Amino acid sequence: MTLSRRDGQILFTVVTTAYLIGYLWAIGHLDIGLGGSSVTIVEEPVSTLVRSEGGFSYRPVARIKIGQITYLASLNTLIGGALAALVGLNLTVSYFAWRQSASCGIRQSSSGVLAGIPALFSGTACCGPVVLIAVGIQASSTLLTVFQFLLPVAVLLLLGSLVLVGRQLTVESLAF
Amino acid sequence: MTRLSRRHFLVGAGSTALAGCSSSGSRDEEFTEPLELPTADEQLPLPTAADALTEEARSGGPPKDGIPSIDDPSFLSTEAVSFLDPGDPVFGVTTDGVTKAYPQKILVSHEIVNDDLNGTPVSVTYCPLTGTVQGFYRGNTEFGVSGRLINANLVMYDRTTETWWPQILATAIPGPWNQTPEIRSLQEFSLIWTRWDAWRDHNPDTQVLSTDTGYAENYNQDPYGSYNPRSGYYDNQNMLFPGRINDDRFHPKRVVIGARTAAGAVAFRKDALRETHLMTGELGETPVVAVYDDRYDTGYIYQNHDEKAVSDEGEQITVDGERYKPDTLPLSRIHAFDAMWFAWVGYYPETNIYV
Repeated sequence: MTLSRRDGQILFTVVTTAYLIGYLWAIGHLDIGLGGSSVTIVEEPVSTLVRSEGGFSYRPVARIKIGQITYLASLNTLIGGALAALVGLNLTVSYFAWRQSASCGIRQSSSGVLAGIPALFSGTACCGPVVLIAVGIQASSTLLTVFQFLLPVAVLLLLGSLVLVGRQLTVESLAF
Repeated sequence: MTRLSRRHFLVGAGSTALAGCSSSGSRDEEFTEPLELPTADEQLPLPTAADALTEEARSGGPPKDGIPSIDDPSFLSTEAVSFLDPGDPVFGVTTDGVTKAYPQKILVSHEIVNDDLNGTPVSVTYCPLTGTVQGFYRGNTEFGVSGRLINANLVMYDRTTETWWPQILATAIPGPWNQTPEIRSLQEFSLIWTRWDAWRDHNPDTQVLSTDTGYAENYNQDPYGSYNPRSGYYDNQNMLFPGRINDDRFHPKRVVIGARTAAGAVAFRKDALRETHLMTGELGETPVVAVYDDRYDTGYIYQNHDEKAVSDEGEQITVDGERYKPDTLPLSRIHAFDAMWFAWVGYYPETNIYV
């Protein structure tokens, strides 16, 4: 098991944490805030948790301000965490597959990790994919639909990649 | 590690698909009383038939109420406000003994505040993509964000009849939730788009909408750009959603101050008005004057039926020899508001425009 090895655990933790932070920043749930320190929880957190603001963007149920940083807690943190874990697993398993194949002289590659990048763009909290403003592309309905599917497609790609690459590894080869 | 099997893959895929199917919910169940909504005497102009406008509506991304209106606003006094920089835009109104300011940085995430002014129920509405602020009398209903756009402009809906009301047109059109509404226009009032320091200095006892909105948002983040200083969508030529018309006489985001009645539409470029302080024009057949108010960096439009002599004397305006402040001329003031050029000409393609 790649995660039973110490180097596997470290790689997984680093990648997963970095990805989750990047994801939360990309959707605006972890960013510079108005300052001050406080915790705000909405009135009906349970029903708010599953309220969609468009596609797979969910309404935050709590706002935690620590100094300059504001974190918004929502279902997207769980989604981001799951995505981050998939990316982390992908990268870790790919790393070991690469090391194994290098020692056996077989060429391998895993593009599954790249699937994690579209998921970062999967949407900000309101009014469509705002990243389009920066690049000057209009949000046609086709494009909006594409953005809404980025997240599930990324998940499928990451899972698929994990299955494929995972099959390359054998327990014996991990004993080097 | 456990070998991932195809079964694990399918379970993962299935759960992911289900997660996307959550309801958006709404407050509609609370508005069962018959609608009592103040409406205008004359219907405002539409650029085309109401149902043709409905065909132009497109999704802006979020579902109905995906952008949540503020329905239970709370307010602070000036001294208690710590989250506004001097140059931050606020939308101010003084009426009937009450003075309120609504900061742009809060409204950008909510677009509609269902509030009251000294007991009179109103909605203060802001569409970030068209740069328009409109005040409406809402009677016994509330307005919400439909999630759809026409001309890149917010389409509101009322929570009693679910009729669609495009914000700039302020007029009912058919929609998927109410296909046969009475086509009529809302009663409007103007707010002043100004800077926080200007509003505060001239209205020290103003109330200010607080960030305690009932929602967990980061009000330091504007998803489209910035006004202080101006950058991103508010400044560049990029259009996130298309306007109705491509009239490139001016930069699409250039701010105009416009007014429209059943007789027609007129607009003045705000930068020109800022420089000249006084401009004249025509709305339909009626002469109008636009005057600049340097206290707030805003402008007002008055009808000048009798063609009185109006001239600019620095900080005051002279009408027939008498001096007045810009907001109190002895002429009939008409409802006017700031708008981005593309949005104004998109809805009023025949507008008179003065630069």
